[in-house]
Amino acid sequence: MRDTRYRWNTFLLYDYRGVEDHLSAMAAKGWRLEKAGNTFWKYRRAEPAQVRYAVTYSDSASQFNPEPTEDQLSLAELCAAAGWEKVCGWFQMQIFSTEDPAAVPLETDEALRLEGIHRSMKKNFLPANVVLLLLLLFVGRDFLPALVTWDLYGMLGSNASLFSGAILLPTLLVELYIFSGYFLWLRRSRRSVEDGGACLPAGRGYRRANLALWVCVSVIVAVYLLLELSQGGRGPALYFVLYMAFYFLLVSLLRLTTALLRKWKVSKTANMAGTLIVDFVLAFALIGGLTSMALNHDWFSPASGSGETYEYRGQHWDVSPRRDFPLTMADVTGEEYGHVSREIYDRGSLFVSNRGYREYALLGDGPKTCSLSYSIYETKFPRLQESMLEDLLEVDEIKFHGMTVVTRRYVPEDPAPWGAEAAYRLYYEEDPTDSWFLVWPGRAVGISFGFVYTEEQLPRVAARLKPEA
Amino acid sequence: MAREKFQTLTEPMFYILLCLREECCGADIMARVAALTQGRVSIGPGTLYNLLDSFQSSEMIRETSVSGRKRSYLITDKGRAALEAEYRRLQVLTEDYRTYLGERRLLP
Repeated sequence: MRDTRYRWNTFLLYDYRGVEDHLSAMAAKGWRLEKAGNTFWKYRRAEPAQVRYAVTYSDSASQFNPEPTEDQLSLAELCAAAGWEKVCGWFQMQIFSTEDPAAVPLETDEALRLEGIHRSMKKNFLPANVVLLLLLLFVGRDFLPALVTWDLYGMLGSNASLFSGAILLPTLLVELYIFSGYFLWLRRSRRSVEDGGACLPAGRGYRRANLALWVCVSVIVAVYLLLELSQGGRGPALYFVLYMAFYFLLVSLLRLTTALLRKWKVSKTANMAGTLIVDFVLAFALIGGLTSMALNHDWFSPASGSGETYEYRGQHWDVSPRRDFPLTMADVTGEEYGHVSREIYDRGSLFVSNRGYREYALLGDGPKTCSLSYSIYETKFPRLQESMLEDLLEVDEIKFHGMTVVTRRYVPEDPAPWGAEAAYRLYYEEDPTDSWFLVWPGRAVGISFGFVYTEEQLPRVAARLKPEA
Repeated sequence: MAREKFQTLTEPMFYILLCLREECCGADIMARVAALTQGRVSIGPGTLYNLLDSFQSSEMIRETSVSGRKRSYLITDKGRAALEAEYRRLQVLTEDYRTYLGERRLLP
């Protein structure tokens, strides 16, 4: 039979009643709190008993202190005189217990209790949550503007934006809920205390919200990984898994550093500085190293080629060019190309399929080359297609050092030769290019010709690229 | 802030300052207040710790000796003045009470 047990702690620092009730209930079941860690609390088996737990707050307490401060020791001494034994500390919260039902409560002045709680929250919970909120806003710097302007394609167009948004939104909402929940509790408790009452219970809402968030994020992450793997995105999936593993490793190593420095009786300031330095070094080594490895090994490349290649005229060509291209240069020109390289890109999401095809070939034996590239966008949702067209056809200013160098815009043209609903040609300023954007119901195609094409060839292109009837 | 806080004293504040007219430690204060008020007022150790800290910061009491973890305190002139002011305030309240009830009795 196990003598120790760990539980994931979901309490917030101000929920003194929640902590007290929980610990008394655990003691009644035969489990006494031994150590309150940041994430997990450790319990030791004991005879089930009616134990009263009470908490109070000490400003001078800190996880970076090498030893309990004089203030903490004085508090423990006072509590011992009143029959309360110190169990452990959790940040500024000091946890005491007694089996004496007649012992004077630790706190007999609710106004002072509330002040003490708020002082501790200002030291600990509030700064950490402000940083977290800012971090979330930074992470959502692309997704949130798309949400505010209701840019559906911006939100749902790629797996990265879709899933970062899917994780960001509930996290942000829960964070705001917890943050505002505390201030609401503080205001209501102040009113209650002014009226001669006690501080109010914090409720279980924030704990349920936190739990729901973890479940929600776990499901979203699992769906994201499965989707990436099913679309052949092994690189991004691997990066994500390693990133999360490194993140948890980093957090564990930081806590270990703090604990070690505390054990070595290093001062609070030196401990904080040491932990911060280790944080920077490890973050740089782990996350930076991982990102560098991913970039060097092309983990993020959405392209999948044909496999084996050979070298000719200083370039790599496919031994067996892939044949799953809806349209090839040979289809358009009727010519055969001796040296060909083909790649497919998958950049879509759950709601929009976005497949890019790129073909590159030598004209004869070279050295001249030709190319054809096109992206096929498909969605079953007309509103999403509207939003997608707005985004993709948007006027784009290409800037250099803050100055607009050239304006890129799509100009409507006659769609009849393409057999499309709408056709747009890309212009750089007033100069037309050989890039087009074609629209059919449920499908849009952006195509760029890297060779000279004729008007007669266009229906052949359209026949291959338009959606099947 | 502290001055505003101690403009009027709560019962625990009043009794703590009263006990500290003689040098004593925290445990003594808790015992003396309970004995003096016959258990009507009890001061929890957490509350006492916070009040002693606030009184000390506001220079209403001073630490006189530290023996191990045991710290003893004594009221200062400032604390004595606050205690005196509170006593006078309570007296005024009592006088007002008596006057009011006396006038009521004299009324036809």
